[in-house]
Amino acid sequence: MNVASGTLPSSGRDWGPLALGIGVAVIAALFLLYPLANALLLAFVKNGSEPAVSSLTLANFARFFTATSYQRALWNSIWTGVAATLAAAAIALPMAYAVARIAMPLRGLISAMTVVPLISPPFIGAYAWIILLGRNGTITQWLHGLTGWTLPPIYGPPGVILALSLSYFPYVFLIVQGAFAAADPHIEEAARMAGASRARILWTITLPLALPALAASMLIVFIKAIGDFGVPSILGGEMQVLPTLIYYQIHGFFNLNAASAIAAVNVLLTLAAMGALAWLNRTRSFVTVGSTSRAAVRATGAGARIFGNVWCWGVIAAAILPQMVIALASFADKWPGTMLPLSYTLAHYERVWSQLTGPIVNSLILAGAATALCVVFGTITAYASARDRLRVRWALDATIMLPFVLPGLVVGVAYLTAFNSGPLVLTGTAIIIVLAYFTRRVAFIFRSAATTIAQIDPRLEDASTICGASWSATMRRVLVPLAAPAILAGAILVFSTLISEISATVLLYSARWKTISISIYELVLGDLLAEASAIGTITTVMTLLLVLAASRLAGRNMADLYR
Amino acid sequence: MSGAALSVRNLTKEFTTGDVTVKAVDDVSFDVAGGEFFTMLGPSGCGKTTTLRMIAGLERATSGAIMQDGRDFMATPPQRRNIGMVFQSYALFPHLTIFENVAYGLRLRGLGTSEIERNVARILALLQLEPYANRHPSALSGGQQQRVSIARALVYEPTMLLLDEPLANLDAKLRVLMREEIRALQRRLGITTLYVTHDQEEATAVSDRVAVFNRGRLVQHGTPSEIYGAPQSLFVADFIGRANFLPVRLAIPGNPTGGAMLGNGAALQPRRCVRLDASEAEHLERADDAIVMVRPEHLSLDARAGDIACRVNRVQLLGGLIRYTVHSDASPDPVTVETTRPLTGIGEGAESFLRVHPDDAVLYHR
Repeated sequence: MNVASGTLPSSGRDWGPLALGIGVAVIAALFLLYPLANALLLAFVKNGSEPAVSSLTLANFARFFTATSYQRALWNSIWTGVAATLAAAAIALPMAYAVARIAMPLRGLISAMTVVPLISPPFIGAYAWIILLGRNGTITQWLHGLTGWTLPPIYGPPGVILALSLSYFPYVFLIVQGAFAAADPHIEEAARMAGASRARILWTITLPLALPALAASMLIVFIKAIGDFGVPSILGGEMQVLPTLIYYQIHGFFNLNAASAIAAVNVLLTLAAMGALAWLNRTRSFVTVGSTSRAAVRATGAGARIFGNVWCWGVIAAAILPQMVIALASFADKWPGTMLPLSYTLAHYERVWSQLTGPIVNSLILAGAATALCVVFGTITAYASARDRLRVRWALDATIMLPFVLPGLVVGVAYLTAFNSGPLVLTGTAIIIVLAYFTRRVAFIFRSAATTIAQIDPRLEDASTICGASWSATMRRVLVPLAAPAILAGAILVFSTLISEISATVLLYSARWKTISISIYELVLGDLLAEASAIGTITTVMTLLLVLAASRLAGRNMADLYR
Repeated sequence: MSGAALSVRNLTKEFTTGDVTVKAVDDVSFDVAGGEFFTMLGPSGCGKTTTLRMIAGLERATSGAIMQDGRDFMATPPQRRNIGMVFQSYALFPHLTIFENVAYGLRLRGLGTSEIERNVARILALLQLEPYANRHPSALSGGQQQRVSIARALVYEPTMLLLDEPLANLDAKLRVLMREEIRALQRRLGITTLYVTHDQEEATAVSDRVAVFNRGRLVQHGTPSEIYGAPQSLFVADFIGRANFLPVRLAIPGNPTGGAMLGNGAALQPRRCVRLDASEAEHLERADDAIVMVRPEHLSLDARAGDIACRVNRVQLLGGLIRYTVHSDASPDPVTVETTRPLTGIGEGAESFLRVHPDDAVLYHR
């Protein structure tokens, strides 16, 4: 063999890892840490003053004790959050049991259908309920005509709780169904041998075993619910919650200090829930005792099967009803509270096509740029933390997970306060929206990339190095090709959620950079529900196709992507 | 063999976690001659793999020097050292075909397509892998994957071949087959080879020289017969092959020349004597305490007469080998005797005599 003619490319020291490490640290400090720290500082500063020791105050927080509007918003956030969580659990628990333990057909389809509410943003569902249950709503009119009885108005707590619980129940369903399916069937068989009835087994064995999963999933729903802006802003009516209060403090008074203080309280609430979740995760030691691959025995009784089918398909009908209604409304010419529209038209789509392509393109650009940023940054940090390359690993872990617990409105406030004045003014630009999206979603990419990279043998990189590859060549030739499919699937999911992001956008958008979500929001507030439905339907279809592509790429079914 | 192809001097590697600093490799020095098959042997955690990875450049040494052909090797980054390495997990690139796995190092060296094809074809033929060129690693058996990983390491004609526990993931029969294949290939190519294993049989079977590691230190190196026949410490004696340790008392405290006395009073004058280092000498309480090490095959049993009266406890037939386990006054632990032919009249429960050959025994003293 003669390989002497081939020589290794000469290079000095390998600066790649160091340069990347510094870059990552700078970005984390500037766009993750600084905005949040700055917002926290401003929460303690008198409104209108520059941050200084003399202007420090607790006045922004004191309003939670003095102003009724603040107290009401806090209380509304908590109780509608709790109510929506309980409602979601009540809907999802029997459904999870049925899919896991009752012999009924199409169980896979049921699981897949539950992903639909997760895919479409809750606020799109929210205005569907106006079409159905509003003053001139289809159901309202139909009930009135039938019984002469008028439904109470949808606006306020009932509407918010209804829309939130039907949007977020799939989290409970997916997690608890997993727990039911994973439980060791031998435990239940042992109880059976001991003479317990089916009902008794359910009550004393099956449910207690799934309890930790149920509690964890309910906390996730609670965190999502108290951070949601779109639903209470559309269906809340007079009712304020913390996110809408932040919005009004900024849009009404541009009081960044008050908004920061409210945001801090909102975060505190989320952190309390996160703390409870972490505590639960530590104590749920008895869930995964099962060592058998045998599936649990499914109930085959007629009663159980009728109940399972009725409940599951009923819930799915209710959950996808908003999407159906919106699709129908987008083609409806006249729909004056009748069961179906009186005539159909494409005019709404024509209007969207002629006037609203701007927002659609904007959303695609902003979401695309933010996703690209998430992928680059999230993958590099995931690599660093999986391979222990950076000394500051724990700090990066903490920084990057932090925005995960932050509602969108809070991120919006942080960006407004950080880049509204000072050396880096970004207000009104596309960059600030991209960065806020990045802050909200980078944790997701980080986690999926970290899981993927952790499964790649580090010896592969050693082998590549020994064969003569520089660090960057190893990344390009070995690590990226191996990790790409999973990371790309994660990126598509992130992209699909960002094209309809509302809660950070609503604080940061400008006339030039209106997005899909802002257009829908404006159309709904202007009572132009048909146009809102057209653009909402386009968004939902787009998102559905993206998620399908992601599940193909990752080789997992859609429901698993969200588990 | 010419002068030292690789010199390792005072190599040390410290790992610090919190306040605790552990010396994974502690002041290790050795030379490897060109074309030599040199094996680093030791129990897990003894520092052998860390030493190999420092030679590869995958770990940074805390102090010490590594020289290749007299030039400092440490300043060269691993990808420029032009060495080949085989990993325990094979570390084949799962997304590349066998051909591309092997071609990897050649592509990095900027060879032309036809040259790459020629070189890869040649090494695949050498390792009987041609039928698998277009498959992916997951479609190959463990032994085949192992050969691919050797092909990948050799194709670009490295100056040295490093193998890190390459056979640990194979089953017993394949392990023996593969180690002979590796040895034959190494002889044929004449490539300087560093081999890491925890299996002493594997080490002594294939190596020109063996270095035994314990707790980060290189405790002894030499040819397989040197380290088997004259282990310089109780650790090496115990780690390499089987050993019987008999407590004895020296006639002159601290001086082995006066001979030793077994527990039953019999005198013994082993040919080789070794003074133990401080850590091992601790096991000997008094100045005249000493230990005699005898390999099982160097002991014999005689029904009529011998050095030590004993009772046969257990007789095991192990293929071509018969192992007798006996109890005697000479040692608190049972003594193992191995012969190739069954001894007539000596079965389980029989009274017998042990015979120690002084030429084959080693005396360890303080």
